[in-house]
Amino acid sequence: MSQEAIRNFSIIAHIDHGKSTLADRLIETTGTLSKREMEEQILDSLDLERERGITIKAQAVRLEYKAKDGSKYMLNLIDTPGHVDFTYEVSRALQACEGALLVIDATQGIEAQTLANVYLAMEHDLAIIPVINKVDLPSADPERVKHEIEEILGIDASEAILCSAKTGLGIDDVLEAIVQRIPAPTGDNAKPLQALVFDSKFDAYKGVVLYVRVINGNLRKGMRIKMMATEKVFEVTEVGCFIPKPVAIDVLEEGQVGFIAAGIKNVRDARVGDTVTNNDNPAAIPLPGYRKATPMVYCGLYPLDNSDYGDLRDALEKLQLNDASLVFEPETSVALGFGFRCGFLGLLHMDVMKERLEREYNLSLLTTAPNVIYEVFLTNGTVEMIDNPSLFPDPTVIDHVEEPFVNATIIVPKDYVGAVMELSQEKRGEYDNMTYLDETRVMIHYALPLSEIIYDYFDKLKSCSRGYASLDYELHGYRPSNLVKVDILLNGEPVDALSAIVHKERATYRGRQLVEKLRSLIPRQMFEIPVQAAIGNKVIARETVSAMRKDVLAKCYGGDISRKHKLLEKQKEGKKRMKQVGTVELPQEAFMAILKMDDSK
Amino acid sequence: MNKWEQIQGIYVHIPFCLQKCLYCDFASFAQKSDKTMAKYTDKICGEINQHISDMYINPQATIYFGGGTPSVLPIKYIEKIVAALKNKGLWQKPTEVTIEANPGTISAESLQAYRHMGFNRISFGIQSMQDSELKAMGRIHTAREALAAIEMARSAEFTHISVDLIYGYPGQTIKSVTNSLETIVKQGIKHLSVYGLVVEEDTPLQKKVETGELLLPGEDDSGDMYDFIEKYLIQQQYRRYEISNYALEGEESKHYLLYWQYLPYLGFGVSACSFNGKERKTNPYTIEGYLNEAEPLIEKLSPADTLAEYIFMGLRTSQGINLEIACKRFNVDIKKRYEQEIKECQSKGLLQVDAGETSFSLTEFGMKFGNQVFEKFL
Repeated sequence: MSQEAIRNFSIIAHIDHGKSTLADRLIETTGTLSKREMEEQILDSLDLERERGITIKAQAVRLEYKAKDGSKYMLNLIDTPGHVDFTYEVSRALQACEGALLVIDATQGIEAQTLANVYLAMEHDLAIIPVINKVDLPSADPERVKHEIEEILGIDASEAILCSAKTGLGIDDVLEAIVQRIPAPTGDNAKPLQALVFDSKFDAYKGVVLYVRVINGNLRKGMRIKMMATEKVFEVTEVGCFIPKPVAIDVLEEGQVGFIAAGIKNVRDARVGDTVTNNDNPAAIPLPGYRKATPMVYCGLYPLDNSDYGDLRDALEKLQLNDASLVFEPETSVALGFGFRCGFLGLLHMDVMKERLEREYNLSLLTTAPNVIYEVFLTNGTVEMIDNPSLFPDPTVIDHVEEPFVNATIIVPKDYVGAVMELSQEKRGEYDNMTYLDETRVMIHYALPLSEIIYDYFDKLKSCSRGYASLDYELHGYRPSNLVKVDILLNGEPVDALSAIVHKERATYRGRQLVEKLRSLIPRQMFEIPVQAAIGNKVIARETVSAMRKDVLAKCYGGDISRKHKLLEKQKEGKKRMKQVGTVELPQEAFMAILKMDDSK
Repeated sequence: MNKWEQIQGIYVHIPFCLQKCLYCDFASFAQKSDKTMAKYTDKICGEINQHISDMYINPQATIYFGGGTPSVLPIKYIEKIVAALKNKGLWQKPTEVTIEANPGTISAESLQAYRHMGFNRISFGIQSMQDSELKAMGRIHTAREALAAIEMARSAEFTHISVDLIYGYPGQTIKSVTNSLETIVKQGIKHLSVYGLVVEEDTPLQKKVETGELLLPGEDDSGDMYDFIEKYLIQQQYRRYEISNYALEGEESKHYLLYWQYLPYLGFGVSACSFNGKERKTNPYTIEGYLNEAEPLIEKLSPADTLAEYIFMGLRTSQGINLEIACKRFNVDIKKRYEQEIKECQSKGLLQVDAGETSFSLTEFGMKFGNQVFEKFL
């Protein structure tokens, strides 16, 4: 098939605006899958993705479409994640495309991530087709959305397509627009091979499977390829595309999207963003690559059962094969034993990884509260990067501390501007600017400490705006902050995994809240447990978990031994979910207590 | 022959009562007709007659009629069952023959009849000596009737009288529990079972607690009750021979003890359980199921199960686990096998090992936190 008949595109959208439903509908309408074969949201192939209704990994599907002009086209749909944690993956997918469908919910209008995604698409010079989705809903207001598209995004909205991915309305128009408005690729088959690796995954049988977009030349089975960044050479064992199940084909030509396997054992040898070339006829220069994803949020991961440490390491290594943005290194906690300090793109990423580790690898894990990386400038002139609060240096050797700030974009109905600004101020935000998007909606920019975003900014934002505010943010840089470490002592013994870095002015307040929360989370035990918060040697708050009074089966006779036996087993099983720290048994939630505090109290 | 290789007790379940108590989750059914009771009696006699045991039956095996409320079953039916047991050689020279009774369902005549048949011990479910509490529990008798029942049992020459009490029920206070306990002790009762309330699943009580209609005493309040009961009864010369059971010297229930010593027993009737040391057989839970000969539940116990159960049952008693007997019975060096667990519990003050290292048992503190010890041996 000639390049002229190929269209490579992505779908970009704010979360919940209907991206995956539209993708499903396109697959169904083009007959790539029969209705019977359609599973809902077919592209979300991880169980977790389907359960949570989110897309985490990019996916590529080849659709065959017979257009109204009578010609057949090959449409390559590269699905992208919609959550701010995965902006980086969106950017990768866009680089493999010539165009993007910009999906906007007709009832919601433009949201913070719509903007962020549009900017990304513009950066990559993509043709953007606005698609106003959910027009079948009674509260849909496509005219207002069109207005926003022109005013806010500066995109001509006259050709915006009204559609309902749910009912199928307007889907034909979307397909026609893809053919007519997205340019065909302009690669050169005669040139040496250049293919962009835009994602990868690990397959136990095939090794690393690379998702590629061929720019120039072609890729065939049996070809000896070279990864231009790592200079590793492999022989291609399989070439294929997704329709949407993987299917082997003979060749991937210029402009096409598909996958290859080449017996690559180690993901590090074939990084996402690298360029694949023909080892026997190499290209002179690689394609522009990607920035490496940098983790923003760190936490400690510990097995509840210390003997699972090795299994946890193996599981993390396996997950990393699929997700290069996951970083981890071993660490030791006095309280928790051996574990790993892990870096994630954001909280959702962290949650998803933890859940996958527990589900797919059958591990029982404990996570410490997430934190950012602090730059601690010491009086001796050196700088330490601190990704674990317990390692925060002694205040006497600290000159000053800097913490990461993000540029946050908040879009909110104008009635809630006051509440949002109050919240942002309270969260140590620095006001940047504000613009009216239209008569009713406002876009506000703040510089905010990333730690506050992790803490509870998003939840608070949602509640103070009755769910109307949307948020997007990107890392901005480090700024000095007056920070101190609050330690938690149980039974007089410091528990390193419970330490937290907080702003000095709020330290006493946070300390008090934290011990109160811990008191309510720690179940009564056979002895009384004092819970204290301290800065340095100074105790700033204290609560007591009073002793349990009794724990014994009142009755047990001949007829109910089996039942009582099971009851005891269950109690024992429940304890396995607890972590023994010194003499105290702590539930997992205790380590997340700092995130679960209610400021309004 | 070893004790654990012979039947040491016989249990007969009478699943009838006048009214079901709010907290009760036993197999017990209210207001059944005489016809049903007659059928049930025939069936249970049939079960006794057809019993085939490959186990030797200790002629002194204890007999226990429990329920439900055995005292609601007309005397003629009780007599039939007793006759069946004697006929079958299950009732030979029992050292202890107990019948459970509700103070509201006895008469001088019925008590005489029990004595005549050979019952020598009566266990009254009294639960509380406060009428308001009795009402809240759904009991059919008053405190005064309870005292009268004890008097009547004495007149019928029952020398072994036991009383069950409950603490931790909604509405109970440390004061009311103290009063109930003192009143009973004053009667010269020689055996007391004092149970902390357990809100069992699917009981009317559970619903009322869930909806907030009834409010359980707080953890600290029921903790105080527990502490008081123990202190007071020991002061009154009772021996706490099991977590919830107190007796004057020599008044311990032999039948109860056989359960805690994990010895073999036979059970007849609805929901009754038989145990031969390796296997537990439990009869159907409903009268209909039992009458229609629904299959009993057979549980084959692994050596690990039996050992764990032996330990958590044995540890309920003040005498605890005798190492020599346990080693002989299970062919395991308990001390070695559970070295870690015993040490840990000892260091926490939960377990004590006697000077000659022949046995280990719960400390007073350990009895409070028995579950924390039991689960270590599972």
